[in-house]
Amino acid sequence: MAEKKMIYLQPTAVRIWHWLNALGIVTLCATGAQIRFPEYFSIFGSYSSVISLHNTAGYVVVFSFFIWLIYYVFVARTMVKLYVPTVDDLQNGLLRQSIFYFFTFFLGGDNPHHPTPDNKFNPLQKTAYFVIMFILVPLVGVSGLLLLNVEPLSGLIIMFGGLKVLVALHYLVACCLCAFIFTHVYLATLGHTMIAHFIPMWTGWEEELEDHSDSHESH
Amino acid sequence: MKTAFTAKFLLYSLLLVLVFFPLGAAAMESEDCLGCHEDIETVGDELFINAAVFDVTAHAELGCSACHESVTDEHPDDGLEVSKAACLDCHDEIGEQYAKTAHVEYAACGDCHNPHQVRGLNEVSGYDLNQQCASCHETDDVVSSHSEWLTQADRHIAKLPCISCHTDSEDYVIVLYMTQRESKAVMGDFELSTYQDLVALAKQEDVKSLIDLDNDNKISLAELSTFNFDSTYRSMRLQATLTPADVSHTVETLDNRWDCSFCHTSGTERMQTSFLALPTSEGTYQRIEVESGAVLKALNGPPDFYMMGATRSTLMSILGLLIVIGGTLLPIGHGSLRFLTRKNRMGKGE
Ligand code: HEC
Ligand code: HEC
Ligand code: HEC
Ligand code: HEC
Ligand code: HEC
Ligand code: HEC
Ligand code: HEM
Repeated sequence: MAEKKMIYLQPTAVRIWHWLNALGIVTLCATGAQIRFPEYFSIFGSYSSVISLHNTAGYVVVFSFFIWLIYYVFVARTMVKLYVPTVDDLQNGLLRQSIFYFFTFFLGGDNPHHPTPDNKFNPLQKTAYFVIMFILVPLVGVSGLLLLNVEPLSGLIIMFGGLKVLVALHYLVACCLCAFIFTHVYLATLGHTMIAHFIPMWTGWEEELEDHSDSHESH
Repeated sequence: MKTAFTAKFLLYSLLLVLVFFPLGAAAMESEDCLGCHEDIETVGDELFINAAVFDVTAHAELGCSACHESVTDEHPDDGLEVSKAACLDCHDEIGEQYAKTAHVEYAACGDCHNPHQVRGLNEVSGYDLNQQCASCHETDDVVSSHSEWLTQADRHIAKLPCISCHTDSEDYVIVLYMTQRESKAVMGDFELSTYQDLVALAKQEDVKSLIDLDNDNKISLAELSTFNFDSTYRSMRLQATLTPADVSHTVETLDNRWDCSFCHTSGTERMQTSFLALPTSEGTYQRIEVESGAVLKALNGPPDFYMMGATRSTLMSILGLLIVIGGTLLPIGHGSLRFLTRKNRMGKGE
């Protein structure tokens, strides 16, 4: 039996941001579906209430984004180290991690990456999270804020290419985030147990096995 | 008693009219009247009639005397008051319809229409439609009262004629119109293009040629997108409004317009019919048919007209759906293999 070591992986601010964000984005996806396809979805009652819910969730996500940004940039100062993929990550890391996920994993091999508070993410995670947090979430947020104030900000919207372009952008990026949620939640179950990665996101503490081998996978 | 009196009164009036009407009508033609009434110097601005505007109204054909029957040859020296026809004499159906609304207490025909400047629905822009109401219902007040229940009331009021919500029209059409940036500034405001603006741009009288390239009095999707992407027209922008297809005078508050889904869940079917309204030399508008479904297309049509739930582009919807489905492939594919190979990870690390 391997030695267990506890590491403090997910600080409180990150956990608050993450769950506000997750709740917000899931709500946005569901309400957004009803807003775009009202004939097919009517989960949230009337159109005006679904709009209010969508708007509120949008503000929650924007607010929580700033918790994340301020925490990692100014408090922990680990943003670059954690989130920006290095050249080595891109050249070798992505491949190494993919080989694990799509090959070694099935044979029962070890995860080549071991999270520490300074290096939480494997190269795949890093790249995906970078794209999500630096490109997609800001894009969906900015386009959403513009769409919330179409009349007063119409000058800016025209600079973006017009309302239709903006709506298309908002919709397509939102679809990417929705697709990300499926993948993300699934990959999060690939820890040494199904819930191993969820626990630190909830409690902050990660249980790392000293000899780096996986334990039982639960089903 | 009363009815007998009314009957007698009507009879005398009729006789009076019969005696004077031919005289008055024959005496002065519309041009004669306008000879004085077109000239502010002679009659003052209270009695001024803008002949250029009047001449192109449907009322012009009637002639002045049709509505001002009592006018005599001696006018204005006779000092007699000139009669003014009631709108209901000729528009009794509209009158009946309007009389059933509470609004009849608040505004008469003449409060919304100047008899010397009447326009049909197709001849006014969406913008002008709201001006009629704005003389009593100040736009700022309307925006603030509507924003209590209407999200982005400012946008709705700016882009939607009041009568789209406040009359019980059966059907709606989308009317496109041209706007242009007044100043050179990048953020300059767009304003309704006038006929003169468009003539300057088209370099000819026929402003339709700006966009109807094959001159067939119809605007195809290809012509629309050519216009939208032509860099010489960068300062121009097509806008649009949702207008009733036919005029109704049931000016009232309708319960189903509370429900956003009246417009926003109607699906894409209703949004097929559109027209381009171009200003004419006469100060009115002419409508040109646009190929069906223009506002639903991602790249054609007006770039700033989008009604959630109603004018989405099918192409974009499918693209987005594919992205979402793409996101489920990894969980499904990887998950299946993971299940099949679960034995390989059994008991490891124990
Ligand atoms: C010679 C110039 C002249 C001509 C021609 C003329 N008007 Fe007038 N009209 C006037 C003047 C001046 C007044 C103001 C009279 C007054 O205030 O007593 C007036 C007053 C009126 C008024 C009354 C406004 C009111 O509120 O009482 C009407 C209506 C009118 N004109 C209609 C006509 C029509 C219709 C014709 C043609 C059949 C016509 N006028 C021809 C000069 C003219
Ligand atoms: C369709 C009916 C109609 C026709 C046609 C018409 N008028 Fe009038 N006119 C009216 C009515 C109704 C009024 C009263 C408007 C009011 O009280 O607001 C009026 C008012 C006027 C006035 C008083 C000033 C004003 O604007 O209220 C003048 C002057 C006048 N008309 C002149 C003319 C002349 C000149 C012509 C022909 C060029 C003409 N009208 C054609 C219906 C008509
Ligand atoms: C002498 C008859 C007569 C009187 C009085 C009359 N109209 Fe008309 N009006 C017509 C006719 C005829 C037309 C053209 C056919 C139609 O649209 O019904 C017309 C058309 C109109 C139009 C539509 C214009 C268009 O281009 O389609 C409006 C608006 C209008 N009238 C308003 C009024 C108002 C307001 C009054 C009262 C101030 C009035 N009319 C008085 C006969 C009259
Ligand atoms: C509350 C404002 C208002 C009142 C009051 C009003 N109208 Fe209108 N009317 C409109 C609007 C808005 C239109 C559509 C735009 C236009 O044609 O000017 C219109 C259009 C019309 C038209 C043209 C219809 C067509 O098919 O093009 C006629 C005719 C007309 N009105 C007659 C009348 C008559 C007669 C009265 C009095 C009984 C009256 N209106 C009262 C607002 C009003
Ligand atoms: C001559 C002034 C005048 C004009 C022009 C006018 N209104 Fe009104 N309207 C009133 C008044 C006065 C009231 C009652 C007070 C209030 O609710 O603001 C009213 C009330 C209303 C109401 C509320 C009625 C109800 O049942 O509660 C509606 C809706 C309305 N107007 C729509 C319009 C529209 C649409 C137009 C333009 C086509 C228009 N009005 C033009 C004076 C006007
Ligand atoms: C999106 C549809 C819509 C549009 C566009 C719209 N209204 Fe309304 N309006 C309503 C509804 C629904 C109500 C009833 C809500 C209430 O009673 O609070 C209402 C209420 C009103 C009232 C009575 C209550 C009040 O706010 O004083 C007036 C007056 C009015 N509208 C005028 C206008 C005018 C003028 C315009 C155009 C500038 C306009 N509306 C545009 C839907 C609309
Ligand atoms: C139901 C929805 C979600 C669940 C269950 C979930 C679960 C998790 C778990 C378990 C982790 C920790 C494991 C890891 O680091 O990979 C995590 C981290 C992360 N999640 Fe999510 N997530 C959800 C939604 C989202 C959404 C919508 C986003 C962004 C748009 C997001 C962005 C992130 C990021 C950036 C991290 C790394 C955080 C850090 O440590 O700095 N998650 N998530």
